[in-house]
Amino acid sequence: VTGQHPEPEPPSAGSGRHEEGQRLSPLTPVARGGILLLAVAATTWQDLLAGRIGPVGIALLAVLVGGAVFGWVSWLRTRFWIGADELRIDTGVLYHQSRRIRIDRLQGIDIVQPLLARLMGLAELKMDTAGGDREGSLAYLSLAEAHRVREVLLARRDAVRRGTGPGFHPGPPPGAHRDAEVGEGVEVEDAEVGEFAGVGDDLRPGGVASWEPPDHDLARLHLGMLLGSMLLAPETVALVLGGVALAVAGLFVDGLLVAPGLPVMIGIVLVQGRKLSAYYGFTVSQTRAGLQVRRGLFERSTQTIALARVQGVVVSEPVMWRPLGWARLDVSLAGYGSGSESDGSPSATTVMPVAPRPVVMALAADLLHGRDPALEAGADPDAVPLVAPPRSSRWLDPFARRFQASGLGDQLAVARAGWFTRRTHVVRHARVQSVRLVQGPVQRRLGLADVHLDSPPGPVHVLLRNRASVEARRLAEQERTLSRQARRAS
Amino acid sequence: MPEDLFAPPGNPWQRISPALARLRRVVLSACLGVLAVATVVLTVVLGLPGWLLAPALVALLVAELLGWRAIGRQVALWGYAERDEDLYITRGLMWRRLVVVPYGRMQYVDIQAGPLDRAYGIARIELHTASPGTSAHVPGLPAEEAARLRDRLTDLGAAQAAGL
Repeated sequence: VTGQHPEPEPPSAGSGRHEEGQRLSPLTPVARGGILLLAVAATTWQDLLAGRIGPVGIALLAVLVGGAVFGWVSWLRTRFWIGADELRIDTGVLYHQSRRIRIDRLQGIDIVQPLLARLMGLAELKMDTAGGDREGSLAYLSLAEAHRVREVLLARRDAVRRGTGPGFHPGPPPGAHRDAEVGEGVEVEDAEVGEFAGVGDDLRPGGVASWEPPDHDLARLHLGMLLGSMLLAPETVALVLGGVALAVAGLFVDGLLVAPGLPVMIGIVLVQGRKLSAYYGFTVSQTRAGLQVRRGLFERSTQTIALARVQGVVVSEPVMWRPLGWARLDVSLAGYGSGSESDGSPSATTVMPVAPRPVVMALAADLLHGRDPALEAGADPDAVPLVAPPRSSRWLDPFARRFQASGLGDQLAVARAGWFTRRTHVVRHARVQSVRLVQGPVQRRLGLADVHLDSPPGPVHVLLRNRASVEARRLAEQERTLSRQARRAS
Repeated sequence: MPEDLFAPPGNPWQRISPALARLRRVVLSACLGVLAVATVVLTVVLGLPGWLLAPALVALLVAELLGWRAIGRQVALWGYAERDEDLYITRGLMWRRLVVVPYGRMQYVDIQAGPLDRAYGIARIELHTASPGTSAHVPGLPAEEAARLRDRLTDLGAAQAAGL
């Protein structure tokens, strides 16, 4: 997909618009170096106001001038071409790099606007290719241009995949159009391209394009609800309890006791603040390519979830949200890997941070049936009958067993567990990679076994926990049959 | 009823080569032998009373016997069965497992054979799907059987490949 070319040759079939390629926005160096500018101004403003420039100021100014020159040359040297079947990006001040991204491999294109760029009306395009790495990015374009380039690339990708686009030539190099033609191509013994080959290809040719409703919003997160959900988060409880404990300790025991606790509290506040700014204005809307997620207070980001890449979903209901009937929705996408919120940054797998449960379930159903009318009927996870583990499992999971339940439906496999956060993992039979039956020594005594349905890396892991062992084998065989049928049907 | 739970899916389990048990027993004995020698040497060097040696050596002997037996049972429990569309693998002594991998889900197949494996003429085959949880591997296959299985799995995988 990528490669180093010492002497980039002109693209074989350019867009026809510019043989020299297109440039990024001329404001790019300012947007990239703006922070530096602010830093210089902030550290030397006293000197500047007084009309004298100290040695620190001179050094900083030199850095600034150097950065500006570098940024400008870098902008001058950066060009991109939208070719018939590849996007080529040439960069490099000292070392030239020519990166080529196969358009048919594009999974999605996200538009990201960091604060400074957003103030200047600029946006970054992030190419998301099969394999999961963010392999290419164009920073920055004007927002309108970013949208236009995105549309052109996606339209061209669909055309290449259908094999009718301008990029289709009858004699493609071996493997070049594998996705479009073989469709279900998982390459054996080809770790590099085979890893996620075939992702998104079980949409029938033309299946995406024929479905073109106007974009409309499916769900929008209101600020009040976001704030409410954050107030009802374990972090807030910890914060309040910790604050009270610190206050008590500080007042009655020793003021010094507060010192070690304070950074932790500040950390929690900062993490929550980042979450707030990331989830602010969270909107899910329907587009031709899939579900589009837009979010962010300072940095706006737009991410499109290709329905064909959806492996499964997780509906999370923390104990404090349950009386209000709120839930959160995460999705497993092929190639995205596991998203985690542990570092405070919002995960890319979140489709809805908080919403009333019916809204979340409607979004989940939308993700699960992938707008395939044939699947729509069986796509409601709540309709799948769940069975709780037998009583004998109390020796293993005395408390947790009360919240465990799992079952196989026509289209879906569902497993629910957890008291503090009740998580409902759902996967489509068509997406199950392998079925695993595991029985530990204690389970053997009790006549129990676990059935795992393996999914690609991500938040979803359907585990039919502690089922009666006779039934467990039957479930494993049933899942095998169901997923085989589902694979054939899709 | 583990017999029911891990019964073969129609055709009987293909068992793996007993050479694997021999290999593992040699490795076990070598490790415990080194430990025994080290114990004796330490006792002599540190000038510890000789009667301390007896329980230590007995413990090592017991470990050897238990390990010997466990290896035999463990290797005897490994098995795989090729079906029309799936490969079944069963394994495990304490934690018994059964993995069903559809051929169409395989991303690639690995064969590994270390120097010891080669000395015993065996190899290990591993199937990878898009899920890291799959953990489908079969050790102790005779080298030619491993190659045959790899080729067959590769062919079937290509023929039945399904999108992710």
